[in-house]
Amino acid sequence: MDTDKTEYVTNPTRSTLFMRTFLPYQMWRFAVINLKMIEIIRRSHKTEITPGKR
Amino acid sequence: MTNVVVLGAGIAGHTAAAFARSWLGRDDTVTVVSPRPDYNWVPSNIWVGVGLMKPSKVTFPLAPIYERAGIEFVQASARELHPEGGVNDSNPYVTAEFADGRRTDVRYDFLINATGPALRFDKTPGLGPDDGHSLSVCLPDHAAQSAARLDEEVERMRRGERRKFLVGVGHGTCTCEGAAFEYIVNLEFELRNRGVRDKADITWITNEYELGDFGMGGMHLKRAGYITPSSVFNASLFAERGIDWITRAHIHQVEADRVLYETLDGARHEQEFDFAMLLPPFSGVGLTAFDRTGADITDRMFMPNAFMRVDADYTARPHEEWKAADWPRTYQSPNYGNVFAAGIAFAPPHAISIPRKSPNGTVIAPAPPRTGMPSAMIAKAVAHSVVDMAGGAREPTHAASMAEMGAACVASAGANPFTGTAASMTVFPIVPDYERFPPYGRDVKRTFGEIGLAGHWTKILLHHMFLHKARLRPGWRLIPE
Repeated sequence: MDTDKTEYVTNPTRSTLFMRTFLPYQMWRFAVINLKMIEIIRRSHKTEITPGKR
Repeated sequence: MTNVVVLGAGIAGHTAAAFARSWLGRDDTVTVVSPRPDYNWVPSNIWVGVGLMKPSKVTFPLAPIYERAGIEFVQASARELHPEGGVNDSNPYVTAEFADGRRTDVRYDFLINATGPALRFDKTPGLGPDDGHSLSVCLPDHAAQSAARLDEEVERMRRGERRKFLVGVGHGTCTCEGAAFEYIVNLEFELRNRGVRDKADITWITNEYELGDFGMGGMHLKRAGYITPSSVFNASLFAERGIDWITRAHIHQVEADRVLYETLDGARHEQEFDFAMLLPPFSGVGLTAFDRTGADITDRMFMPNAFMRVDADYTARPHEEWKAADWPRTYQSPNYGNVFAAGIAFAPPHAISIPRKSPNGTVIAPAPPRTGMPSAMIAKAVAHSVVDMAGGAREPTHAASMAEMGAACVASAGANPFTGTAASMTVFPIVPDYERFPPYGRDVKRTFGEIGLAGHWTKILLHHMFLHKARLRPGWRLIPE
């Protein structure tokens, strides 16, 4: 791989890599991610056109 | 009695047909016209393409589902729209063609065009699994073919051979970079799982100006005290996994063992491969339209790229003048009030990413994505409007502008319940609105992304939930789009 590219890239620390698959933390993140997604879905499902509003 | 006809049975068409059937009365009919007998949950084709799922896990026959739901199913390809009917009959109709060449006319009161994309492998010589040298995951059988070729490559690597993998998009105007991104990170994960990663050189090739653009102009994420562009996270993920990348590229030709490509600076290059999965550019499916006298009105109803004109502002402007308000809200045809488009079939007013050309005049810029959640959201809003108009409403009653809705997306980066990961992302809105959310065009509180095992669990959950919904099993209406 081109070292010019990898030299200037943000790399994850060991703890970041560990946390990506650390079960207790990921169970917490599962809840957080789903709540964030539900909020986006809830906002996006408001499709009824209000008269006078474009 | 109202006849609603839906063209296409993909994510948009199937969603529109299911909701229309659910909301219309018993005397009304809903007819789906689609050439394929099966529904395909396309986002999971990625896993078929790396051999983790069989095509049967991402498809199911539509006929029994439609029979149970009371939806009529015509397994044929829509060819012609006759929105004014014919000389002797003013009822509008669609002409569809069966696989054996026979034609049939399907009459409608309301038409929803959800025909999705035509896969234009022909735009790049040598591209595609049928007549070319590259693979694809656009269709289940394409994905299965990719998985079989991957098995062959793994066997070679186990015998000690070094192999080159090239994944990305096969043309400068492609969209769906996100799907190709999912494929390359899943491929890398799978090669590690199979113990041959050290024998593989993996390269990403894309028309994106920067990594992480995904045809949406990228996104900005608030993290650790900084507003950081998605390119930083994408480059980090590739570097961490030893994936090389080529950006700003248009592939001119795919040969048996290499691609010939041009970059935005006008320079010509070659990249060798043993295995190439390159997605094609899209266009509309090429419907033609005729008025009552039989005169061709295709150019009135469709853009030159064969996507359908809807209530967007198609005035050509420099990208500095693009506005969120250019994007369609109701997806109603400007020519015929009872004709709508949903999903990929509608013509976007312009790109989202900044359009760019090389000094040679080659367009190298991603087209805007409108798959998955936005496709289904648009379809549901259109179905709502059609049902309300069938009930007497004079105008569409529901809007689903991509400049007003957000999207939640989970991009698999390795499928394993304990060691897998996926990038979970939300973006709000999909099309940046710089007037409402300066300076990034998006609400940074609602635009986020992170990678981890939790994302993989979410992806698995979505796979099962959406297949349950698509099968119209009990409670399907409660599952959001």
